[in-house]
Amino acid sequence: MHRSVVKVMALDPTVILNYWPLLVDGALLTLRLAAIAFVGGMLLGAVCATLSLLNYWPVRIVILVYLALMRGIPFIVIVFLIHFGLPSFGIRTQALVTGTVALTLYAGAYYAEIIRAAVLALPRGQWESARVIGMPPIAAARHVIIPQIISPSVPPIVNCTMTMIKESSILSAITVAELTYQGLVIQGNTFAPFEVFISLALIYWAITIAFSLLAWAYERRFGTASGRTSRMSPIAARYLDIEGKSGR
Amino acid sequence: MKTGPALRATRLIRRFGELKAIDEVYLEIPYGQVVSLVGPSGCGKSTLLRCLTHLDPPDEGFIEVGGEWLGRALMRNGIVKHNSRRHTDRVRRKIGLVFQSLNLWPHLSVMDNICTAQCIALGRSRDEARAHALELLDRLRIGEIADAYPGQISGGQQQRVAIARAMAMNPEILLFDEPTSALDPELVGEVLRLLKELASSGMTMLVVTHELAFARDVADRLLFMERGIILADGAPQDVITQTADRRVRDFFDKVTAFHPKFMAGTKPKEEHS
Repeated sequence: MHRSVVKVMALDPTVILNYWPLLVDGALLTLRLAAIAFVGGMLLGAVCATLSLLNYWPVRIVILVYLALMRGIPFIVIVFLIHFGLPSFGIRTQALVTGTVALTLYAGAYYAEIIRAAVLALPRGQWESARVIGMPPIAAARHVIIPQIISPSVPPIVNCTMTMIKESSILSAITVAELTYQGLVIQGNTFAPFEVFISLALIYWAITIAFSLLAWAYERRFGTASGRTSRMSPIAARYLDIEGKSGR
Repeated sequence: MKTGPALRATRLIRRFGELKAIDEVYLEIPYGQVVSLVGPSGCGKSTLLRCLTHLDPPDEGFIEVGGEWLGRALMRNGIVKHNSRRHTDRVRRKIGLVFQSLNLWPHLSVMDNICTAQCIALGRSRDEARAHALELLDRLRIGEIADAYPGQISGGQQQRVAIARAMAMNPEILLFDEPTSALDPELVGEVLRLLKELASSGMTMLVVTHELAFARDVADRLLFMERGIILADGAPQDVITQTADRRVRDFFDKVTAFHPKFMAGTKPKEEHS
């Protein structure tokens, strides 16, 4: 009894040491996928959010259908639909390309919802007061709306990005050679699933933690500084000054 | 001295479905006049201000601000021309609107609240805008809060900042949407004094208000609106005491019944004896 427990818990580190380069390759590709999906998704999300907020219903309906589809279908089904669906329209591309597109579309939909919600949460009067004083729409967005939606949308964006990084593991199902795929390859070669998956777990955890630390540093530097000074009561401001915690 | 009216609205109509929120309103406000607009809730006062500033463009009718068409233009030959958005934005700067909820921008300092639009919309340099803003802040006696944020100042100061922000664009006319309704009772007097000062400095104003004291003491002219129609228009004393229209009478009878002091000031002398 005692012996078998010891045997189950026994890890063979040589498996990981021998296949380390594959894991590094996989992790790098996961990072690259996440970076592309983050940047692309943010751009897509910002565009979709803006279009859905314009008072032009045909565009709005298209965007809302896209958002509803992306949020209502499991990611793996989206990936399969794009990967196996495009060839039937005569478009043949690598798994890496379809995988990146799927991840970007997926992240973009969630980012769009976050940005949309942040804008809609602002009092309508903020936009109206900027427009009525004679600011063109772009200037009103730049000077009045955007500065006010950044700090409230950072936490949900971080959350969503962490989910997206983890969901990228699903791309292994269409042979995108990212971290999970490499893990499966090593596992197939070594029959040492526990060693492999514990390594994967640690690497994914390290990536998402690193990202959330980055976001936390950003929030500390910018988010709270601009978000709080405007709303801080004079007493709180004085207290923070005494404590030397003030942002400025 | 500028000639012509500061603001002219011709046959404005705004519909919400079947309902006409604004029903053929004609309004002409000469320079320097202080007009107060009263009426029961939901009568279209706020909608009228939103139409006049094109936040809610009217369905029909024409608006002229300082001699320029806002939105729709009626050409000499009778043809209606729709001006571009850019043109509308430019003419809008000639109207200052002080919202009921003020809508100051909380992420910008008081100074930036006042300067941003000047720099963007009027193309003033940063220094020019600052100098102009400081002058206005001093005039409104809040020079010391230029670097504070809207969340750090009192309600009365916020009101002044909102007024300064609108005035910084050198508008032809200032519109106020119930400037006292969101304030503590003790601040109401302060804001009314401020409006009085602005009025005596020659500012053209249209004030939607429930404060009949303001309408009586400060305004040159009183408009009474109900169901989107301007029912009475004239000198405040005359409208309050001598209107023939039953609906207007009923309204002022109800309002004055709650303000004995107010009645003492307005009732014709013979009723005192």
